[in-house]
Amino acid sequence: MTQLEIRGLAKRFGGVQALNGIDIAIDGDGITGVIGPNGSGKTTLFNTIMGVHKPTAGQVIWDGRDITGWPAYRIAATGLVRTYQQAMSFPGISVLDNVSIGFEHGCDRAAPRRWTSPESLLGFVGLDGRGDEIAGSLSFGNLRRLGIAVALAAQPRMLLLDEPGAGLNDHEALALRDLILQFPGMGMGVCLIDHDMALMGAVCSRFIVLNFGTKIADGTPADVLQDRKVLEVYLGEDA
Amino acid sequence: MTNHNMQSPTQPVTARVSLPEAKPRYMRGIKEPTREEWCLGILILAGLIAFPFFDPGYRFLSLAVSTIFTAIALYGLSLQFGQAGIMSVGHAGIMGVGGYTAAILANQLGLGFWESLPLAMLLSALAAAVVGLPSLRVGGQHYIIITFCFCALLVIALTNGGTFTGAATGLDVGPIPGVFGIRFAKLDNMYFLCLAALTISIAVTFAIVHSPYGRTLWSIRENEPLARAVGINTNLHKIGVFAISGAFAGLGGILQTYYLRHISPELYGAFPSLYLALMIMLGGARPLYGPLIGSIIVNFLPELGGLDPIDSRIAYGVGLLLVILLLPGGVSGGLLSLYRRGTKTRHRLEKGRGLS
Ligand SMILES: Nc1ncnc2c1ncn2[C@@H]1O[C@H](COP(=O)(O)OP(=O)(O)OP(=O)(O)O)[C@@H](O)[C@H]1O
Ligand SMILES: [Mg+2]
Repeated sequence: MTQLEIRGLAKRFGGVQALNGIDIAIDGDGITGVIGPNGSGKTTLFNTIMGVHKPTAGQVIWDGRDITGWPAYRIAATGLVRTYQQAMSFPGISVLDNVSIGFEHGCDRAAPRRWTSPESLLGFVGLDGRGDEIAGSLSFGNLRRLGIAVALAAQPRMLLLDEPGAGLNDHEALALRDLILQFPGMGMGVCLIDHDMALMGAVCSRFIVLNFGTKIADGTPADVLQDRKVLEVYLGEDA
Repeated sequence: MTNHNMQSPTQPVTARVSLPEAKPRYMRGIKEPTREEWCLGILILAGLIAFPFFDPGYRFLSLAVSTIFTAIALYGLSLQFGQAGIMSVGHAGIMGVGGYTAAILANQLGLGFWESLPLAMLLSALAAAVVGLPSLRVGGQHYIIITFCFCALLVIALTNGGTFTGAATGLDVGPIPGVFGIRFAKLDNMYFLCLAALTISIAVTFAIVHSPYGRTLWSIRENEPLARAVGINTNLHKIGVFAISGAFAGLGGILQTYYLRHISPELYGAFPSLYLALMIMLGGARPLYGPLIGSIIVNFLPELGGLDPIDSRIAYGVGLLLVILLLPGGVSGGLLSLYRRGTKTRHRLEKGRGLS
């Protein structure tokens, strides 16, 4: 069940070749990790898939449809939803309204709802009882939970998470791990970017490694972490 | 990120939920006003209805009419700026589109107020949507400048429109045809007509703000990229809210035209637009009664304070600075938080925990 397929995807910003012809196929029922050093093009990969940037070349096929160049809102409505690297919420309104917005838009109204109400979704991510608080006043960890809740409210069939663990303490990172591990069982594929290798190792069944906008490795975590090119990138030339 | 002590996370519910709602379709998802909101609304309406019976005199009653049709236009701006977060200093121009539509229809085709009303609102909505198009590419101050230019261009076009627009002298219209024997040439009746339109405007604004559509507008104000990421067609909804805002301006504009019985280009230039922006910021763009309060302050302040035009401009300027510095939510926002603090204190006192 290949759901998201990227063919020869390239993105250039002026003189920076942020993505350099990437081919990836991601299954709709697993958790795939995307790793790579800072500036290797991970966020750009998400942005280009999700219609934030127009690709310079290449195609994005999602669920059998060519969605290359579609506007972001239309892609989200097909069940491919992302979170942002910076914890992103609607800061000036209540937590419950944040989630309600995702509930009222998002994808596939015909698809079965995983949560009956915004409140039950808040409970699921561990924000129960905080619905009336203003989103901008939440602690950093809770803001991250809310960011994921807003994305979940849009009823994704595949979720792209950009560094959901950045800035979390150990306890919160563990909770995040448990949360992400539940997604495949709900019929939600996950593609995950993070630098926290403990988290990545615990949840991902597959690693994709980017370096300078090029895919340098793709496979099971064990294989990828022994790959010579990957070790060179992470440990320096003479590793 | 579930809590560890949460043994059974909410199970995915696979059945499609149908929300049991008895409301008619168009009311679905709109929050009912609370008792407080009903009370406040009825109190304000009662006050406005009672106003002419206190014998305010011609001067004050006509100020009140101006206050009300201006407030109607401001309700549009409050949706666009207060809810969706996009400021415009071209709102008077949109009022002008409504006013001139009515005046031209009257002069060219002999149409009266009631026939022109829907057309004026429609054309204003269209004009506002078109003026809003650049906001899809540029944001913030850049868009504000574009709306400012629109007003300046409109004035030039109206001034050079020959007999069609009446050029610099403008156009005259007749009185509003009476209904059920009510003559609107009488100022009291004009006041009540405007008040009826204001009541509808406030009710519509309330419904929009408290419906899912209101939240959609907030999402644009709060975080446009995220709104798009959860499936909201922000461009469409921006143009949509401009059109709604324009319809309000058109309603205010046609009432103004038939109240003054004569319109001319300078009514709709950049300066009147700046005044509308001033009113919305003084009164508060988000609270339900902010536009009304802003309009009351700016229309009545010179008269009540005995200020000449120069003095009143200085007073507005100082007032605006004070409001921006001290009351970011405008005067209505300030009153609201004062009230909330009051009720909280009362609750605390009732619980016997004292102040502090
Ligand atoms: N909007 C943009 N305009 C110009 N250059 C950009 C833009 N976005 C990214 N880049 C450049 O593209 C390259 C890849 O950046 P990207 O943000 O995708 O890296 P990343 O792998 O997500 O890094 P990190 O781990 O730090 O988040 C960088 O050189 C960056 O400067
Ligand atoms: Mg990144």
